[in-house]
Amino acid sequence: MSLAQRVLLTWIFTLVFLIMLVLKLDDKIRWNWFLVFLPVWVFDVILVIMLVVKMAGRCKSGHEPRDGPQDLRKKSWYLVAVLLKLAFCLALCARLERLADIKVTFVCIPLWVLLLGAMAELGYNIFPDRRD
Amino acid sequence: MLFSLRELVQWLGFATFELFLHLGALLIFSLLVAVRVDFAEAISWWHVFVPLFTADGLSTYFTAIVSIRLHQEGERRLAVLRLLWVLTVLSLKLVCEVLLCQKLADLDQAPNLWFGLIVSPLFILLQLLMIRACRVN
Repeated sequence: MSLAQRVLLTWIFTLVFLIMLVLKLDDKIRWNWFLVFLPVWVFDVILVIMLVVKMAGRCKSGHEPRDGPQDLRKKSWYLVAVLLKLAFCLALCARLERLADIKVTFVCIPLWVLLLGAMAELGYNIFPDRRD
Repeated sequence: MLFSLRELVQWLGFATFELFLHLGALLIFSLLVAVRVDFAEAISWWHVFVPLFTADGLSTYFTAIVSIRLHQEGERRLAVLRLLWVLTVLSLKLVCEVLLCQKLADLDQAPNLWFGLIVSPLFILLQLLMIRACRVN
């Protein structure tokens, strides 16, 4: 996928989600919160499928890229990150729909783990290993 | 994930350090939201939003420094373009944050502040990001 296609995909899903969120928050629609988050579910499922297909391609016998294990580790982290985001959104919807009486602190735990991981990855890019 | 870090930096126009700064601010903000909702309802929403405002301020400062350096090195066009882009994004983000904070702080006293209005800077930002993506591509 080219950069423009990936940007368009992200843009469309973000736009639709924002519109549905605003309509719900302003009481213009009486949809379930899980339905309002539909663009998020679809986008995350697309991401998971893309990552799993890429990882399966890497693990295929006979395919040995130069930085194989490192790349696979990176892809695994991306997969975990998407799952953490899904867990956060599911917990948030459950809380908003009052399906479960959970504290916001517990709802936010997957988000915090995700943000810490993303910050660690960014930090590694800003301050690379300087042991030598 | 969907974008590499290099693509993100190119598309959003922010340096890696600035992205790191905004992620850190989001982390502290979410911690404060959880504390405010679960344990301490006496905390003002303006205090909860302080990390986001601080990150915007620091990002503006960082961009000003980078633009001045670029200007000194003779890259005037690049310096002005970068400054304009980052200031536009940050001001749209700040307007959205201030309106949201105002809404949360006076939930009953501000019935005219509907969420469509609060999120409108983000809609403008989305259009700008799409235009920039076409240019970067």
